[in-house]
Amino acid sequence: MVDPLTLDRWAYRLLYVGLAAALVFVLILPLETRPNRLPGPDWMICLTFSWLQRRPDYLPPWLIASVFLMLDMLLMRPPGLLTALMLIAAEFLRARQQVSVETAFGAEWLLTTGVIATVFLAEGTMLALFAVPEADFARLTVEAVMTVLAYPLAVVVSRFGFAVRRVTPGDLDPRRLGR
Amino acid sequence: MAADRNAALDYTRPIRRILIGGTVVFLLAIFLFWRIDSPRVERARAALIDRIVPGYDWAMAPVTKAADLIEGFQSYKRLAEQNQELRRELRQMKAWKEAALQLEQENAKLLDLNKVRLDPELTYVTGVVMADSGSPFRQSVLINVGARDGIIDGWATTDGLGLVGRISGVGQTTSRVILLTDPNSRVPVTIQPSGQRAVLAGDNSSAPLLDFVEDEDQVRPGDRVISSGDGGVFPAGLLVGHVALGRDQRLRVRLAAEYDRLEFLRVLRSHAGEVIADPGSLVAPEPAEAAKAPGTAQGPEAGDG
Repeated sequence: MVDPLTLDRWAYRLLYVGLAAALVFVLILPLETRPNRLPGPDWMICLTFSWLQRRPDYLPPWLIASVFLMLDMLLMRPPGLLTALMLIAAEFLRARQQVSVETAFGAEWLLTTGVIATVFLAEGTMLALFAVPEADFARLTVEAVMTVLAYPLAVVVSRFGFAVRRVTPGDLDPRRLGR
Repeated sequence: MAADRNAALDYTRPIRRILIGGTVVFLLAIFLFWRIDSPRVERARAALIDRIVPGYDWAMAPVTKAADLIEGFQSYKRLAEQNQELRRELRQMKAWKEAALQLEQENAKLLDLNKVRLDPELTYVTGVVMADSGSPFRQSVLINVGARDGIIDGWATTDGLGLVGRISGVGQTTSRVILLTDPNSRVPVTIQPSGQRAVLAGDNSSAPLLDFVEDEDQVRPGDRVISSGDGGVFPAGLLVGHVALGRDQRLRVRLAAEYDRLEFLRVLRSHAGEVIADPGSLVAPEPAEAAKAPGTAQGPEAGDG
């Protein structure tokens, strides 16, 4: 008999991978091939951060790294850069979890905004430093703002749609919550 | 028990930190490697996409068709208006058709008089667009023909009306077309009728920039832009679009290809032109050994970054 917490974790990990696959599917649909649209939010970043601040044990670093590396490859992004930044950001947020279990959503959104801004700023700086032609600060800024605005929506969907919620003291099981 | 847990934490935390640090360094190394040796990584990427994206195909076709259907319904609304417009256009086109027929006959006659044989090797392979890049920073599409169908990196792609882009990244069954609007795209063009040479540089906007124009005074909005064939990458004479003055007062090209709806693309088989590397042998033929060493044709650069 598999213990229910492990089963739960693996189910959510599978769901995370499934959501990433569905997102890639929607993004690469060739519905619009003209370039002058505004970049949309990066839903995968929203989803990762919102899950990470509720159940960090659902998203171990290796899962984040492999999913984002796959997205980098499939979506024609510079491979590895965003993945590395996301991994660092995820570790930062994970480390903040112990003190911020009780935080209200406003504070969480503020913290996430800071992290998202840092990730995009670092990405833009790296792209500019390495003279990658697609370094485009205006577009990156728009994408960062859209991502920040989309974050509450991702939280609502993962909280009420996928039932990813914080561990309440009632569910606390000290032997198994260690990551 | 609490003390136990703390001990475990103290033991695992440094290992965890090292593992994550190592992964970050590894990922940044991939990025650096991609920046240094782009073609190799892009080949790996093409192979990966070739493996994964055709798996989405069964789901993609119905969604794309449904979107087409919705678009079709929307266009019913302005049917009457469109009808008027088409009638007007048809009247103009009839006049043009007469002119074209006359010109065609004249052209055929002249070609016959000159004994010109058009290059029979400029044939094409038609592919269906499967996916786009999915990123707002790159403009490219994936088509369902690849190395299996003889596609080679660097070949030109048109949609029947005008140039769309070029092949960059070939998998076994798929290949990627970098559109002219991609920030990495650079295509040598000629502006007719003045014959000015320029480089068409994509910049993520729908009208790419005309760069390195020799004399901007000779270029007027509305001039035809065709590919020049400089550098041996593209066949010459493919229609690209028309010159337009951008809002930023720079010369841009309004593309002839219908970018809002890329569905079928033609990949033109072009062959690298023979390069005469040794002028001396034209005057006096060399011995057989020297002649055997083939002058390497200047292949198109596969890299795009």
